Amino acid sequence: MSLISELFSDIFAQQDNWLTRLDPRTKLVVALVTLLCLMFSRNPVFPLFIVVLAVTSALAVKVPVRLVVLRLSAPLGVAFIVLVLQSVMTGSTPIANLQLLGHKITVTQEGWHSGRLIASRVLGSVSVLLLLGMVTPAHRLFHASRWLGMPKAWLEIAFLMYRYIFVLLDLVADMMVAQRVRLGYSSVRKAWTSAGIVGGTVIVRSMDQAVRTHEAMLLRGYRGEIPFETVPALARRQWWTMGVAGAVVLIAFGLTQVRLG
Amino acid sequence: MDNFAIDADHVSFAYPNGFMALEDVVFRVSSGEFVAMLASNGSGKTTLIKILVGLLKPQTGTVKIGGRTLSDYSDAQLYQRVGLVFQNPNDQLVSATVAEDVAFGPRNLGLTAEEVRCRIDEALHCVGADHLRERAIHHLSFGEQKRVAIAGTLAMKPSILILDEPTAGLDPAGEHEMMRLLGDLNHQQGITVILATHSVDLLPLFAHRIYLLNRGRVLKQGPAHEVFCDQELLRRSSLRLPYVSRLLDELNRFDGIPMNGLPLTIGEARLQLLELIPQELIVPPLLEAKA
Repeated sequence: MSLISELFSDIFAQQDNWLTRLDPRTKLVVALVTLLCLMFSRNPVFPLFIVVLAVTSALAVKVPVRLVVLRLSAPLGVAFIVLVLQSVMTGSTPIANLQLLGHKITVTQEGWHSGRLIASRVLGSVSVLLLLGMVTPAHRLFHASRWLGMPKAWLEIAFLMYRYIFVLLDLVADMMVAQRVRLGYSSVRKAWTSAGIVGGTVIVRSMDQAVRTHEAMLLRGYRGEIPFETVPALARRQWWTMGVAGAVVLIAFGLTQVRLG
Repeated sequence: MDNFAIDADHVSFAYPNGFMALEDVVFRVSSGEFVAMLASNGSGKTTLIKILVGLLKPQTGTVKIGGRTLSDYSDAQLYQRVGLVFQNPNDQLVSATVAEDVAFGPRNLGLTAEEVRCRIDEALHCVGADHLRERAIHHLSFGEQKRVAIAGTLAMKPSILILDEPTAGLDPAGEHEMMRLLGDLNHQQGITVILATHSVDLLPLFAHRIYLLNRGRVLKQGPAHEVFCDQELLRRSSLRLPYVSRLLDELNRFDGIPMNGLPLTIGEARLQLLELIPQELIVPPLLEAKA
């Protein structure tokens, strides 16, 4: 499986385990509560606790370590940059001086604390979303969002994007292979050109695809609105699960804020 | 004389760039028929298909479905009579899972949840895809996607099914399975099947009539034997005889082996060859097995 396909693959969300069996609405609500707590967290303990919990849960349901690392690599990079920038560009109390290419860089206490907090929030939030995505197929999440009142037009776009992202990824993969075997990536300059061609072609093909898909939808009665199935009532057990999991998150949040805040 | 399922009468169509895609085409199909449009690439098959389902409007000529012009139908009425399966299933499969995609049409018709479920069951059963029901579309093989695309169209319960290159991209076994599926839909459910193709080998087995198109014109139409007997016409249309016919044709022309007409299927060819082989040389399989 290629790197791009691995990044977007939802194959683990299709497997059967205790997390995938939970109602997507339950998972979505708990995830939203967790995200809110992360947003208001005043120290990195709670966000890091969430990172550990999310990664452990993903590994517990047999998501390969490689995939978890791969998916966390981008947010880790972002968190690192945030930490560095905050540490050296904000605050006034110096805690360390560094020399870089003849320049003196001062790390401040306020910047370090603020960077740590923002970076941990980034990692915590992304971990929650990654876990949610790895144990829930996207279309089920969209249905759950509908239950929470997401506008129908947004959902339609989300559904179609989700459906066609895989078609376009296949197209990109094929085109890149076709370029590679004709030495399209044999130098940095050629790689830039080839990647640019792929980008442009994908846009044009997407527009063609949109026209054909719209025609096909019209032939099956589409009149500007995708009719979704009725969302069934949430089972009592799911309400309980949602309540307990939400409470656990809130208690963990409260404890970390009281003890260290 | 309006008992045609589809009646395209002297239809012409030119694209905005001036390319004349169809010129004075007469295309008539009776209810319950299995008709193939046989043509090489760029001959106007897809344009004709789009005109037949109302996606394109002909500049001249009329198209009637069941004796009524297309404008007499509301969209909902029209697409419950005529269904189109696109060449590339990705054009048509818009939902995340198989069941949701098959339900797309019935839900657009405003059917109840129970009716929608029945239609999903029936349509998937028809195409032998019951086991795919909960699968994600992007995890299906190309052949499976084709089946699901047909199921999505069948769920609208059309009496006419039009397919653009249904066997394109399938392996030989998949190609045969697809044609058999279409044959079953035609025989068992009485669905009028119209398919556009340039694959000639399986057509004589299934198609009641063949329309031969080239450069936007109908060159010939009739049963397979009539269409395939004019080899010069086939050559001009960048088409060929089925391989089995070509073999026997060459045996006849180059080796002088007498043929009683041109066989188009393996079954017909086998019978002709058996006639040529002396009786004493034929060993019944049973005796052969015993020996």
